[in-house]
Amino acid sequence: MFDATQEYTFTHGTVVAGVQWKSPIGTAAGTYNLDACSVYYNPAALGSVCTKGVSPVPWEGNPAPRTAETPAGTVNSVGLQNPGVDHYLEDDLPRLKAMGTTVISNVAGHSAEDFAYVVEKLAKTNVDMLEINVSCPNVKAGTSFAKDPVALASLVRQLRPLTDKPMIFKLSPNVSDIVPVAQAVVESGADAVSLINTFVGMRIDTRTGKPILANVTGGVSGPAIHPMAVGMVYKIRQAFHDFPIIAMGGTSSGEDALEFLYAGANAVEVGSAALVDPAAPVRIACELESLLDERPELSEALSVGKNWINRNE
Amino acid sequence: MQSETMNTTFIKTNPEGKNYRPSRRTVEIVGHELLTQDIVRLTISDEYTAQQGQAGQFVNLYSKNPLQMSPRPFGISEIHGDKVSFIFAVVGRGTAEFRDMSVGDRIDILGPLGKPFDVSKTGRYLLVAGGLGIPPILHAAQKLSQRDDAQVTTMFGYRNEHFADSYVDQYCDDTRSIDNAQGNVIDLLNTWIQENDVKDLKSRAEDIHILTCGPEPMMKAVAAWACEHNIDTQLSLEERMGCGYGTCVVCITPTIHGNQKVCIEGPVFTREELGWK
Repeated sequence: MFDATQEYTFTHGTVVAGVQWKSPIGTAAGTYNLDACSVYYNPAALGSVCTKGVSPVPWEGNPAPRTAETPAGTVNSVGLQNPGVDHYLEDDLPRLKAMGTTVISNVAGHSAEDFAYVVEKLAKTNVDMLEINVSCPNVKAGTSFAKDPVALASLVRQLRPLTDKPMIFKLSPNVSDIVPVAQAVVESGADAVSLINTFVGMRIDTRTGKPILANVTGGVSGPAIHPMAVGMVYKIRQAFHDFPIIAMGGTSSGEDALEFLYAGANAVEVGSAALVDPAAPVRIACELESLLDERPELSEALSVGKNWINRNE
Repeated sequence: MQSETMNTTFIKTNPEGKNYRPSRRTVEIVGHELLTQDIVRLTISDEYTAQQGQAGQFVNLYSKNPLQMSPRPFGISEIHGDKVSFIFAVVGRGTAEFRDMSVGDRIDILGPLGKPFDVSKTGRYLLVAGGLGIPPILHAAQKLSQRDDAQVTTMFGYRNEHFADSYVDQYCDDTRSIDNAQGNVIDLLNTWIQENDVKDLKSRAEDIHILTCGPEPMMKAVAAWACEHNIDTQLSLEERMGCGYGTCVVCITPTIHGNQKVCIEGPVFTREELGWK
């Protein structure tokens, strides 16, 4: 049996927007809850922990049912239920930092003002990176920035002066071409992109003819979306050889993570796999560690903040 | 899991001093029987769950089919030695897969999970359950049978076949059951109260505790009945779960404290917490 509670130390790290990760593997937003997960493994072992989106005030989220199974994945519509940024600053963040965890705070909002409010609060803390969630398909105006490069560029410029922390913008796959969206982020002063958030989808109960989710539609995640995520990471990397990319979407093994790294990602976050095995992020980090032992050229590139595509540039 | 592994692993604590728990693991099926055409009793061997499992807690079972990732959470129905049993109905592809398994097969699990029933109080327990809400209540009957200072009456409602009566009879002298053709569990509660002195009951209401699990309309009726008689009530809820251990915030229920997670802040809630009157 894989023992997630061992004190793992990884030799193959990565650097994302200047921040050192102990492993290229982190957790994806919305799938790591400190109280729930820290009884299965030490989060400080991972490259990073990206915490669930925090909003200016507590959000109650969407009504239940919030999940439906789909082949090799799930459709979720949580609606970013969270206790608000003040609770996060008093509880989760200091506890995670006290353990020695590299922390990314995912920032949620309905508007530019919401994002700015939370970014300003986090700017004064010891969090390592901020991830601006402009791509949640399950809240009001959740993806409006991620679908409009002009509005997104404006948001990046508005938030940039508020913090010196590395700012990651999380992109939506629900666009006809993701490259212009990434370009808006790259050219407006952000530090990294993360992708992909979930695909909009729905499931219908054929006994009733009605949607399973109370919110009707939700976000599809899991191994089913991994090839689309790899394809989008690859497209952005081909357009921008040097800009830091954190990849996520259906990673359930070290091999899956390795695919993302060969597509040009600097790091990989694990989401849905952790929902069906709490220790999955640590297991995947261990698997990737062995795969990188055999790939010194990739490991070397990551360790100096480069990626597979620009390693010789 | 080997006991040797467990002893060295799960005395470890995390950086905040909390005990580590075993993550998803593979265990052996040691018992498998059909109680009715579509109700299965499945028993696994898992020392950790057997030692830690409390009444009202559940365990995630996972399909072997990688297309069916989601956990199937089942309330623990009984624990004997290192053997842990569940009773469930075949309602879809996942449960059909478990029905078609055999003794000696291996299955992935996570648990035990969830907030258990509080069975620490002394007095009279009325264990009221309906249909597939019976298994966790059966476990409560088993746990309470080990105590001298608690008396138990069970009231089980069935659609038709009384599939769990033979199990609960081992743990309790006063077992009552009813099926849809005969009535419902409220009838059993009313019969019980007629047999008791209501005046005397009111003076001793704090010594009576209801634990209930079943379809929501049944539990709402039980909560209303309990409210009328001023009896404290713990209810075990069911909700679609994404992870079962508190991380995904999918299985929420409205409470007086706002939306709470059924998997970790429940599945057991008090009547007051749910605001059910």
